[in-house]
Amino acid sequence: MRRISCFLITLFGCLQLLTAQDSLTKPTIKVTGEVIKELNLTQKDIAGMPRVNAILRDRDGKNVTYTGVALQDILELAGISTGKDLRGENLSKYLLVKCSDGYEVLFSLAEIDKGFTDRVIILADESMGKPLPPAKGPFRIIVPGEKVPARSSFQVVELVVAFAKE
Amino acid sequence: MMRGTRIRNIIYLLSLITSALVFQGSRNRIPGEPTPLKIFYPAYFGNRVNIPVENPTTEEGVELGRMLFYETALSSNNWVSCGTCHRQDLAFTDGKQFSEGVDGVVQPRNTMSLANLLWVRQFFWDGKTRGLEDQSIVPMTGVHEMGQSLEVSVNKLKAIKRYSSFFMNAFGSEQITSLRIRQALAQFQRTLVSCNSRYDQYLRGEYQPTASELNGISLFFTNPNPSKGIRGAGCGGCHGGPKTYNELFHNNGLDSVITDRGRQDVTGKEEDLGRFRVVTLRNIALTAPYMHDARFRSLNEVLEHYNKEMIRTPTLSPALQNNSNNLDGRSLGLTKKERGDLVAFLLLLTDSTFITDPRFSNPYKQ
Repeated sequence: MRRISCFLITLFGCLQLLTAQDSLTKPTIKVTGEVIKELNLTQKDIAGMPRVNAILRDRDGKNVTYTGVALQDILELAGISTGKDLRGENLSKYLLVKCSDGYEVLFSLAEIDKGFTDRVIILADESMGKPLPPAKGPFRIIVPGEKVPARSSFQVVELVVAFAKE
Repeated sequence: MMRGTRIRNIIYLLSLITSALVFQGSRNRIPGEPTPLKIFYPAYFGNRVNIPVENPTTEEGVELGRMLFYETALSSNNWVSCGTCHRQDLAFTDGKQFSEGVDGVVQPRNTMSLANLLWVRQFFWDGKTRGLEDQSIVPMTGVHEMGQSLEVSVNKLKAIKRYSSFFMNAFGSEQITSLRIRQALAQFQRTLVSCNSRYDQYLRGEYQPTASELNGISLFFTNPNPSKGIRGAGCGGCHGGPKTYNELFHNNGLDSVITDRGRQDVTGKEEDLGRFRVVTLRNIALTAPYMHDARFRSLNEVLEHYNKEMIRTPTLSPALQNNSNNLDGRSLGLTKKERGDLVAFLLLLTDSTFITDPRFSNPYKQ
Protein backbone atom coordinates (compact mmCIF):
# COMPACT_ATOMS: atom_id res chain seq x y z
CA MET A 1 0.00 0.00 0.00
CA ARG A 2 2.82 2.35 0.98
CA ARG A 3 4.66 1.55 -2.26
CA ILE A 4 1.56 2.35 -4.30
CA SER A 5 1.17 5.69 -2.50
CA CYS A 6 4.82 6.52 -3.19
CA PHE A 7 4.38 5.58 -6.84
CA LEU A 8 1.24 7.72 -7.16
CA ILE A 9 2.89 10.71 -5.50
CA THR A 10 5.91 10.40 -7.82
CA LEU A 11 3.64 10.04 -10.86
CA PHE A 12 1.62 13.09 -9.82
CA GLY A 13 4.83 15.07 -9.31
CA CYS A 14 6.09 14.10 -12.76
CA LEU A 15 2.78 15.11 -14.37
CA GLN A 16 2.90 18.46 -12.58
CA LEU A 17 6.46 19.02 -13.83
CA LEU A 18 5.49 18.13 -17.38
CA THR A 19 2.54 20.53 -17.27
CA ALA A 20 4.73 23.31 -15.91
CA GLN A 21 7.34 22.61 -18.59
CA ASP A 22 4.61 22.64 -21.24
CA SER A 23 3.32 26.03 -20.19
CA LEU A 24 6.88 27.37 -20.40
CA THR A 25 7.62 26.10 -23.88
CA LYS A 26 4.22 25.92 -25.63
CA PRO A 27 3.16 29.18 -27.23
CA THR A 28 0.33 31.01 -25.53
CA ILE A 29 -1.27 34.43 -25.64
CA LYS A 30 -1.42 36.24 -22.33
CA VAL A 31 -4.05 38.92 -21.79
CA THR A 32 -3.10 41.15 -18.87
CA GLY A 33 -3.45 44.65 -17.43
CA GLU A 34 -6.74 46.47 -16.86
CA VAL A 35 -8.88 43.40 -17.43
CA ILE A 36 -11.49 41.71 -15.28
CA LYS A 37 -9.96 38.31 -15.85
CA GLU A 38 -6.37 37.66 -16.96
CA LEU A 39 -6.08 35.01 -19.65
CA ASN A 40 -3.41 32.62 -20.89
CA LEU A 41 -4.84 31.22 -24.11
CA THR A 42 -3.32 28.19 -25.81
CA GLN A 43 -3.38 27.50 -29.55
CA LYS A 44 -6.24 25.10 -28.85
CA ASP A 45 -8.20 27.81 -27.00
CA ILE A 46 -7.74 30.21 -29.92
CA ALA A 47 -8.69 27.54 -32.47
CA GLY A 48 -11.93 26.91 -30.54
CA MET A 49 -13.14 30.53 -30.73
CA PRO A 50 -15.31 31.99 -33.53
CA ARG A 51 -13.16 32.17 -36.68
CA VAL A 52 -12.93 35.19 -38.93
CA ASN A 53 -10.89 36.12 -41.99
CA ALA A 54 -8.89 39.28 -42.65
CA ILE A 55 -6.96 40.37 -45.71
CA LEU A 56 -3.50 41.88 -45.69
CA ARG A 57 -1.71 43.20 -48.75
CA ASP A 58 1.83 41.77 -48.87
CA ARG A 59 4.96 43.47 -50.18
CA ASP A 60 4.27 42.35 -53.73
CA GLY A 61 0.86 43.97 -53.64
CA LYS A 62 -1.00 40.65 -53.48
CA ASN A 63 -3.91 40.21 -51.08
CA VAL A 64 -3.34 37.36 -48.62
CA THR A 65 -6.16 35.97 -46.50
CA TYR A 66 -5.50 35.18 -42.86
CA THR A 67 -7.78 33.36 -40.44
CA GLY A 68 -7.99 33.76 -36.70
CA VAL A 69 -9.99 35.41 -33.94
CA ALA A 70 -11.27 38.99 -33.72
CA LEU A 71 -9.23 40.88 -31.12
CA GLN A 72 -12.51 42.16 -29.71
CA ASP A 73 -13.65 38.60 -28.96
CA ILE A 74 -10.44 37.96 -26.99
CA LEU A 75 -10.86 41.21 -25.05
CA GLU A 76 -14.48 40.36 -24.26
CA LEU A 77 -13.31 37.03 -22.80
CA ALA A 78 -11.06 39.06 -20.51
CA GLY A 79 -14.04 41.16 -19.43
CA ILE A 80 -13.18 44.38 -21.24
CA SER A 81 -15.98 46.88 -21.89
CA THR A 82 -16.89 46.85 -25.58
CA GLY A 83 -19.68 48.05 -27.85
CA LYS A 84 -22.19 50.31 -26.07
CA ASP A 85 -20.17 50.08 -22.83
CA LEU A 86 -17.05 51.44 -24.47
CA ARG A 87 -17.49 55.09 -23.57
CA GLY A 88 -16.45 57.68 -21.02
CA GLU A 89 -13.06 57.03 -19.52
CA ASN A 90 -12.89 53.62 -21.22
CA LEU A 91 -12.21 55.53 -24.42
CA SER A 92 -8.80 56.44 -23.03
CA LYS A 93 -7.90 52.78 -22.77
CA TYR A 94 -5.45 51.15 -25.15
CA LEU A 95 -4.20 47.73 -26.13
CA LEU A 96 -0.45 47.16 -26.26
CA VAL A 97 0.53 44.18 -28.39
CA LYS A 98 3.82 42.56 -27.33
CA CYS A 99 5.82 40.26 -29.59
CA SER A 100 8.43 37.69 -28.64
CA ASP A 101 11.32 39.72 -30.12
CA GLY A 102 10.40 42.77 -28.02
CA TYR A 103 8.46 44.59 -30.77
CA GLU A 104 5.41 46.47 -29.49
CA VAL A 105 2.47 48.19 -31.20
CA LEU A 106 -0.53 49.99 -29.82
CA PHE A 107 -4.25 50.33 -30.63
CA SER A 108 -6.89 52.38 -28.90
CA LEU A 109 -9.76 50.12 -27.81
CA ALA A 110 -12.15 52.04 -30.07
CA GLU A 111 -10.01 51.12 -33.08
CA ILE A 112 -10.74 47.44 -32.59
CA ASP A 113 -14.37 47.67 -31.54
CA LYS A 114 -17.16 46.62 -33.90
CA GLY A 115 -19.34 49.36 -32.39
CA PHE A 116 -16.93 51.96 -33.78
CA THR A 117 -15.60 50.45 -36.99
CA ASP A 118 -16.37 47.82 -39.59
CA ARG A 119 -12.69 46.95 -39.87
CA VAL A 120 -12.00 43.73 -37.98
CA ILE A 121 -8.49 43.38 -36.59
CA ILE A 122 -7.66 39.77 -35.87
CA LEU A 123 -5.17 37.61 -34.07
CA ALA A 124 -4.36 35.20 -36.89
CA ASP A 125 -3.04 31.66 -36.53
CA GLU A 126 -3.57 30.44 -40.12
CA SER A 127 -3.12 31.58 -43.67
CA MET A 128 -4.54 29.73 -46.67
CA GLY A 129 -5.50 26.87 -44.36
CA LYS A 130 -1.97 26.40 -42.99
CA PRO A 131 -0.39 27.40 -39.67
CA LEU A 132 1.76 30.51 -39.88
CA PRO A 133 5.51 30.00 -40.53
CA PRO A 134 7.68 29.91 -37.35
CA ALA A 135 9.28 33.30 -38.07
CA LYS A 136 5.87 34.97 -38.02
CA GLY A 137 3.66 32.69 -35.94
CA PRO A 138 2.07 30.96 -34.31
CA PHE A 139 0.08 34.15 -33.70
CA ARG A 140 0.23 37.46 -35.50
CA ILE A 141 -1.92 40.55 -35.75
CA ILE A 142 -3.62 41.36 -39.05
CA VAL A 143 -4.77 44.95 -39.51
CA PRO A 144 -6.63 45.20 -42.81
CA GLY A 145 -6.53 48.38 -44.85
CA GLU A 146 -3.41 50.06 -43.47
CA LYS A 147 -0.94 51.59 -45.94
CA VAL A 148 2.03 49.97 -44.19
CA PRO A 149 1.87 46.62 -42.39
CA ALA A 150 3.92 47.81 -39.39
CA ARG A 151 1.16 47.05 -36.89
CA SER A 152 0.44 43.63 -38.39
CA SER A 153 3.07 42.32 -36.01
CA PHE A 154 4.57 38.83 -35.81
CA GLN A 155 4.96 36.27 -33.01
CA VAL A 156 2.52 37.93 -30.65
CA VAL A 157 2.84 36.72 -27.06
CA GLU A 158 0.90 39.19 -24.93
CA LEU A 159 -1.96 41.68 -25.09
CA VAL A 160 -1.81 44.33 -22.38
CA VAL A 161 -4.80 46.58 -21.69
CA ALA A 162 -4.13 49.87 -19.91
CA PHE A 163 -5.35 53.41 -19.36
CA ALA A 164 -3.54 56.33 -20.94
CA LYS A 165 -2.74 58.29 -17.82
CA GLU A 166 -1.65 61.67 -19.16
CA MET B 1 35.62 74.15 -40.87
CA MET B 2 37.65 73.04 -37.83
CA ARG B 3 37.13 76.43 -36.24
CA GLY B 4 33.37 76.24 -36.86
CA THR B 5 33.22 72.80 -35.23
CA ARG B 6 35.18 74.06 -32.25
CA ILE B 7 32.84 77.03 -31.82
CA ARG B 8 29.80 74.73 -32.07
CA ASN B 9 31.25 72.42 -29.44
CA ILE B 10 31.95 75.39 -27.14
CA ILE B 11 28.36 76.60 -27.64
CA TYR B 12 27.08 73.10 -26.87
CA LEU B 13 29.15 72.86 -23.68
CA LEU B 14 28.01 76.34 -22.64
CA SER B 15 24.39 75.32 -23.18
CA LEU B 16 24.95 72.25 -21.00
CA ILE B 17 26.51 74.38 -18.25
CA THR B 18 23.72 76.97 -18.55
CA SER B 19 21.02 74.32 -18.29
CA ALA B 20 22.81 72.87 -15.27
CA LEU B 21 22.97 76.34 -13.66
CA VAL B 22 19.32 77.04 -14.46
CA PHE B 23 18.43 73.73 -12.89
CA GLN B 24 20.66 74.46 -9.91
CA GLY B 25 18.84 77.73 -9.36
CA SER B 26 15.35 76.34 -9.65
CA ARG B 27 15.67 73.24 -7.53
CA ASN B 28 14.26 73.04 -4.06
CA ARG B 29 17.21 71.76 -2.17
CA ILE B 30 16.43 70.28 1.21
CA PRO B 31 19.41 70.47 3.61
CA GLY B 32 20.88 67.02 4.26
CA GLU B 33 19.03 65.41 1.37
CA PRO B 34 20.53 64.49 -1.99
CA THR B 35 19.91 66.94 -4.82
CA PRO B 36 17.64 65.75 -7.65
CA LEU B 37 19.43 65.66 -11.00
CA LYS B 38 17.63 65.99 -14.31
CA ILE B 39 19.45 64.06 -17.01
CA PHE B 40 19.80 66.14 -20.17
CA TYR B 41 18.79 64.58 -23.49
CA PRO B 42 17.19 65.88 -26.67
CA ALA B 43 13.40 65.71 -27.15
CA TYR B 44 13.86 63.51 -30.23
CA PHE B 45 15.18 60.71 -28.00
CA GLY B 46 11.73 60.43 -26.41
CA ASN B 47 10.85 60.05 -22.77
CA ARG B 48 10.48 56.31 -22.55
CA VAL B 49 13.23 56.29 -19.97
CA ASN B 50 13.72 53.86 -17.13
CA ILE B 51 14.31 55.35 -13.69
CA PRO B 52 12.83 53.35 -10.81
CA VAL B 53 10.85 55.37 -8.26
CA GLU B 54 12.94 53.92 -5.43
CA ASN B 55 16.21 55.10 -6.99
CA PRO B 56 15.80 58.65 -8.30
CA THR B 57 18.85 60.23 -9.92
CA THR B 58 20.66 62.70 -7.68
CA GLU B 59 23.86 64.70 -8.03
CA GLU B 60 25.38 62.96 -5.01
CA GLY B 61 24.25 59.50 -6.12
CA VAL B 62 25.79 60.00 -9.55
CA GLU B 63 29.02 61.30 -8.00
CA LEU B 64 29.25 58.20 -5.80
CA GLY B 65 28.30 55.97 -8.71
CA ARG B 66 31.12 57.41 -10.80
CA MET B 67 33.62 56.66 -8.00
CA LEU B 68 32.33 53.11 -7.68
CA PHE B 69 32.39 52.60 -11.46
CA TYR B 70 36.15 53.19 -11.39
CA GLU B 71 36.74 51.50 -7.99
CA THR B 72 39.11 48.53 -8.27
CA ALA B 73 38.34 47.44 -4.68
CA LEU B 74 35.12 46.00 -6.09
CA SER B 75 37.16 43.18 -7.65
CA SER B 76 38.77 40.24 -5.91
CA ASN B 77 42.30 41.10 -7.08
CA ASN B 78 41.87 44.88 -6.61
CA TRP B 79 42.89 45.47 -10.22
CA VAL B 80 39.62 45.47 -12.09
CA SER B 81 36.84 48.07 -12.07
CA CYS B 82 33.81 48.49 -14.32
CA GLY B 83 35.90 51.03 -16.20
CA THR B 84 38.53 48.39 -17.06
CA CYS B 85 36.29 46.76 -19.67
CA HIS B 86 34.17 49.86 -20.28
CA ARG B 87 36.66 52.55 -21.36
CA GLN B 88 35.25 56.00 -21.97
CA ASP B 89 37.52 56.65 -24.97
CA LEU B 90 35.97 53.62 -26.70
CA ALA B 91 32.38 54.57 -25.83
CA PHE B 92 32.63 52.29 -22.79
CA THR B 93 33.86 49.17 -24.58
CA ASP B 94 37.44 47.85 -24.54
CA GLY B 95 38.25 47.08 -28.16
CA LYS B 96 38.86 43.42 -27.37
CA GLN B 97 37.12 40.41 -28.83
CA PHE B 98 36.37 39.17 -25.33
CA SER B 99 37.25 40.91 -22.06
CA GLU B 100 39.31 39.17 -19.40
CA GLY B 101 38.13 38.81 -15.83
CA VAL B 102 40.13 38.78 -12.59
CA ASP B 103 41.25 35.20 -13.23
CA GLY B 104 42.32 35.81 -16.81
CA VAL B 105 39.40 33.82 -18.22
CA VAL B 106 37.70 35.59 -21.11
CA GLN B 107 33.99 36.35 -21.35
CA PRO B 108 31.85 34.28 -23.72
CA ARG B 109 30.48 37.40 -25.44
CA ASN B 110 31.79 40.78 -26.54
CA THR B 111 31.62 43.70 -24.07
CA MET B 112 28.70 46.01 -24.83
CA SER B 113 28.81 49.81 -25.02
CA LEU B 114 27.18 51.73 -22.16
CA ALA B 115 25.81 54.64 -24.20
CA ASN B 116 22.18 55.65 -23.66
CA LEU B 117 21.30 52.95 -21.15
CA LEU B 118 18.57 55.25 -19.85
CA TRP B 119 16.30 53.80 -22.57
CA VAL B 120 17.28 50.14 -22.08
CA ARG B 121 15.04 47.83 -20.08
CA GLN B 122 16.70 44.42 -20.46
CA PHE B 123 20.46 44.17 -20.23
CA PHE B 124 23.21 42.02 -21.75
CA TRP B 125 23.18 40.43 -25.20
CA ASP B 126 20.42 38.07 -24.10
CA GLY B 127 18.42 40.51 -21.95
CA LYS B 128 18.86 38.37 -18.85
CA THR B 129 18.43 41.16 -16.30
CA ARG B 130 15.84 43.88 -16.03
CA GLY B 131 16.97 47.24 -14.71
CA LEU B 132 20.43 48.67 -14.15
CA GLU B 133 20.21 48.05 -10.40
CA ASP B 134 20.22 44.29 -11.03
CA GLN B 135 22.52 44.38 -14.05
CA SER B 136 25.62 45.25 -12.02
CA ILE B 137 25.31 42.13 -9.85
CA VAL B 138 26.40 39.99 -12.80
CA PRO B 139 29.82 41.55 -13.52
CA MET B 140 30.58 42.31 -9.88
CA THR B 141 30.01 38.77 -8.65
CA GLY B 142 30.89 36.77 -11.77
CA VAL B 143 33.82 34.42 -11.08
CA HIS B 144 35.39 35.30 -14.43
CA GLU B 145 34.58 39.00 -14.18
CA MET B 146 35.20 40.97 -10.99
CA GLY B 147 34.95 37.80 -8.92
CA GLN B 148 33.83 39.10 -5.55
CA SER B 149 30.67 38.68 -3.50
CA LEU B 150 28.67 41.80 -2.72
CA GLU B 151 29.25 41.20 1.01
CA VAL B 152 33.02 41.34 0.51
CA SER B 153 32.64 44.48 -1.62
CA VAL B 154 30.60 46.15 1.13
CA ASN B 155 33.25 45.29 3.74
CA LYS B 156 36.10 46.53 1.54
CA LEU B 157 34.35 49.85 0.92
CA LYS B 158 33.67 50.22 4.66
CA ALA B 159 37.43 50.00 5.19
CA ILE B 160 38.06 52.88 2.75
CA LYS B 161 37.58 56.03 4.77
CA ARG B 162 36.39 58.38 2.03
CA TYR B 163 33.27 56.39 1.20
CA SER B 164 31.25 56.94 4.38
CA SER B 165 30.72 60.62 3.60
CA PHE B 166 29.89 59.92 -0.04
CA PHE B 167 27.25 57.36 1.00
CA MET B 168 25.95 59.86 3.56
CA ASN B 169 25.57 62.53 0.88
CA ALA B 170 23.99 60.16 -1.64
CA PHE B 171 21.61 58.24 0.60
CA GLY B 172 21.25 60.24 3.81
CA SER B 173 23.24 57.89 6.05
CA GLU B 174 26.75 56.47 6.12
CA GLN B 175 25.50 52.92 5.84
CA ILE B 176 27.16 51.03 2.99
CA THR B 177 25.01 48.24 1.57
CA SER B 178 25.09 46.16 -1.56
CA LEU B 179 21.79 47.73 -2.67
CA ARG B 180 23.21 51.23 -2.34
CA ILE B 181 26.31 50.24 -4.33
CA ARG B 182 24.08 48.98 -7.13
CA GLN B 183 21.80 52.01 -6.95
CA ALA B 184 24.69 54.46 -7.17
CA LEU B 185 26.24 52.59 -10.10
CA ALA B 186 22.87 52.63 -11.86
CA GLN B 187 22.46 56.36 -11.28
CA PHE B 188 25.87 57.10 -12.80
CA GLN B 189 25.32 54.86 -15.81
CA ARG B 190 21.96 56.49 -16.55
CA THR B 191 23.80 59.77 -17.07
CA LEU B 192 25.95 58.28 -19.87
CA VAL B 193 23.94 59.94 -22.61
CA SER B 194 25.49 60.35 -26.04
CA CYS B 195 23.68 63.09 -27.97
CA ASN B 196 26.24 65.42 -29.54
CA SER B 197 27.47 63.50 -32.57
CA ARG B 198 27.55 65.18 -35.98
CA TYR B 199 24.27 63.39 -36.65
CA ASP B 200 22.76 65.16 -33.63
CA GLN B 201 24.22 68.43 -34.89
CA TYR B 202 22.53 67.70 -38.22
CA LEU B 203 19.22 67.02 -36.43
CA ARG B 204 19.63 70.33 -34.60
CA GLY B 205 20.30 72.13 -37.90
CA GLU B 206 23.93 72.84 -37.03
CA TYR B 207 25.72 70.54 -39.48
CA GLN B 208 25.27 70.02 -43.20
CA PRO B 209 26.09 66.39 -44.12
CA THR B 210 27.98 65.62 -47.29
CA ALA B 211 26.13 64.06 -50.23
CA SER B 212 27.54 60.66 -49.27
CA GLU B 213 26.40 61.04 -45.65
CA LEU B 214 22.93 62.17 -46.73
CA ASN B 215 22.58 59.18 -49.02
CA GLY B 216 23.75 56.97 -46.16
CA ILE B 217 21.04 58.41 -43.90
CA SER B 218 18.42 57.84 -46.58
CA LEU B 219 19.54 54.25 -47.28
CA PHE B 220 19.69 53.46 -43.57
CA PHE B 221 16.11 54.48 -42.84
CA THR B 222 14.51 53.29 -46.12
CA ASN B 223 13.22 49.81 -46.88
CA PRO B 224 14.12 48.66 -50.39
CA ASN B 225 11.27 48.40 -52.86
CA PRO B 226 12.67 47.46 -56.28
CA SER B 227 9.23 47.42 -57.95
CA LYS B 228 8.99 51.14 -57.23
CA GLY B 229 12.67 51.85 -57.81
CA ILE B 230 13.23 52.70 -54.14
CA ARG B 231 16.68 51.81 -52.87
CA GLY B 232 17.30 51.17 -49.21
CA ALA B 233 19.21 49.16 -46.66
CA GLY B 234 16.25 48.71 -44.29
CA CYS B 235 18.36 49.19 -41.14
CA GLY B 236 15.86 51.51 -39.43
CA GLY B 237 13.34 48.75 -38.78
CA CYS B 238 15.56 47.42 -36.01
CA HIS B 239 17.97 50.32 -35.35
CA GLY B 240 15.12 52.81 -35.59
CA GLY B 241 14.82 56.49 -34.71
CA PRO B 242 17.49 59.01 -33.78
CA LYS B 243 18.70 56.79 -30.92
CA THR B 244 19.35 54.06 -33.54
CA TYR B 245 17.96 51.72 -30.91
CA ASN B 246 14.84 49.65 -30.40
CA GLU B 247 14.72 47.08 -27.67
CA LEU B 248 14.53 44.00 -29.87
CA PHE B 249 16.11 40.55 -29.91
CA HIS B 250 16.81 39.20 -33.38
CA ASN B 251 18.65 36.39 -35.12
CA ASN B 252 20.62 38.24 -37.77
CA GLY B 253 21.57 35.26 -39.91
CA LEU B 254 25.15 34.68 -38.81
CA ASP B 255 25.29 30.87 -38.61
CA SER B 256 23.61 27.78 -40.00
CA VAL B 257 24.47 25.86 -36.82
CA ILE B 258 23.80 28.02 -33.79
CA THR B 259 26.24 27.28 -30.97
CA ASP B 260 25.40 30.25 -28.73
CA ARG B 261 21.66 30.06 -28.06
CA GLY B 262 21.47 33.72 -26.99
CA ARG B 263 18.04 34.80 -25.81
CA GLN B 264 16.88 31.19 -25.67
CA ASP B 265 19.15 30.67 -22.64
CA VAL B 266 16.89 33.13 -20.80
CA THR B 267 13.41 32.24 -22.07
CA GLY B 268 13.78 28.58 -23.05
CA LYS B 269 11.57 29.34 -26.05
CA GLU B 270 12.08 27.81 -29.46
CA GLU B 271 11.69 31.11 -31.30
CA ASP B 272 14.50 32.71 -29.29
CA LEU B 273 17.26 30.43 -30.58
CA GLY B 274 20.18 32.55 -31.77
CA ARG B 275 18.49 35.83 -30.94
CA PHE B 276 20.56 38.66 -29.47
CA ARG B 277 19.81 42.21 -28.45
CA VAL B 278 19.83 44.74 -31.27
CA VAL B 279 22.43 47.25 -30.13
CA THR B 280 22.49 51.02 -30.42
CA LEU B 281 24.69 52.21 -33.27
CA ARG B 282 25.68 55.35 -31.41
CA ASN B 283 29.52 55.58 -31.46
CA ILE B 284 29.60 52.37 -33.47
CA ALA B 285 32.88 53.33 -35.15
CA LEU B 286 34.52 53.20 -31.70
CA THR B 287 33.13 49.89 -30.52
CA ALA B 288 34.73 47.29 -32.84
CA PRO B 289 34.83 44.33 -33.04
CA TYR B 290 31.17 43.68 -33.81
CA MET B 291 28.40 41.15 -33.02
CA HIS B 292 27.95 39.15 -29.81
CA ASP B 293 30.96 37.01 -30.71
CA ALA B 294 33.03 39.88 -32.13
CA ARG B 295 33.47 38.11 -35.45
CA PHE B 296 33.61 41.27 -37.58
CA ARG B 297 36.57 43.58 -37.21
CA SER B 298 35.27 46.53 -39.21
CA LEU B 299 32.05 48.25 -40.28
CA ASN B 300 32.79 47.16 -43.85
CA GLU B 301 32.74 43.53 -42.75
CA VAL B 302 29.42 44.09 -40.98
CA LEU B 303 27.91 45.64 -44.09
CA GLU B 304 29.23 42.82 -46.25
CA HIS B 305 27.41 40.40 -43.96
CA TYR B 306 24.09 42.22 -44.25
CA ASN B 307 24.55 42.67 -48.00
CA LYS B 308 24.89 38.99 -48.80
CA GLU B 309 22.22 36.32 -48.62
CA MET B 310 21.28 35.63 -45.02
CA ILE B 311 21.84 32.17 -43.59
CA ARG B 312 18.30 30.90 -43.23
CA THR B 313 17.42 29.19 -39.98
CA PRO B 314 13.89 28.91 -38.59
CA THR B 315 14.47 31.86 -36.26
CA LEU B 316 16.05 34.24 -38.79
CA SER B 317 14.59 37.71 -38.28
CA PRO B 318 11.70 38.39 -40.71
CA ALA B 319 13.18 41.87 -41.09
CA LEU B 320 16.15 40.28 -42.87
CA GLN B 321 14.10 38.11 -45.19
CA ASN B 322 12.92 39.17 -48.64
CA ASN B 323 14.82 42.40 -48.18
CA SER B 324 16.37 43.17 -51.54
CA ASN B 325 17.04 46.03 -53.91
CA ASN B 326 16.66 43.67 -56.85
CA LEU B 327 13.41 42.14 -58.09
CA ASP B 328 13.33 38.52 -56.84
CA GLY B 329 16.72 39.15 -55.23
CA ARG B 330 17.85 36.98 -52.33
CA SER B 331 20.37 39.43 -50.93
CA LEU B 332 20.20 43.12 -50.05
CA GLY B 333 22.16 43.99 -53.19
CA LEU B 334 23.68 47.33 -52.21
CA THR B 335 26.44 48.67 -54.45
CA LYS B 336 29.96 49.32 -53.14
CA LYS B 337 29.24 53.06 -53.31
CA GLU B 338 26.03 52.63 -51.30
CA ARG B 339 27.87 50.59 -48.65
CA GLY B 340 30.42 53.39 -48.46
CA ASP B 341 27.63 55.92 -47.98
CA LEU B 342 26.20 53.85 -45.13
CA VAL B 343 29.60 53.78 -43.45
CA ALA B 344 29.78 57.57 -43.89
CA PHE B 345 26.48 57.82 -41.99
CA LEU B 346 27.66 55.44 -39.26
CA LEU B 347 30.76 57.58 -38.77
CA LEU B 348 28.43 60.54 -38.14
CA LEU B 349 27.27 58.75 -34.98
CA THR B 350 30.61 59.20 -33.21
CA ASP B 351 30.22 61.63 -30.33
CA SER B 352 33.56 63.17 -29.35
CA THR B 353 31.90 65.10 -26.51
CA PHE B 354 30.67 61.83 -24.96
CA ILE B 355 34.08 60.18 -24.96
CA THR B 356 35.84 63.20 -23.46
CA ASP B 357 33.17 64.46 -21.06
CA PRO B 358 34.91 64.91 -17.69
CA ARG B 359 31.68 63.96 -15.86
CA PHE B 360 32.13 60.39 -17.11
CA SER B 361 35.87 60.08 -16.62
CA ASN B 362 37.89 58.22 -14.00
CA PRO B 363 37.93 60.48 -10.88
CA TYR B 364 41.03 58.72 -9.54
CA LYS B 365 43.10 59.80 -12.53
CA GLN B 366 42.57 63.54 -12.20
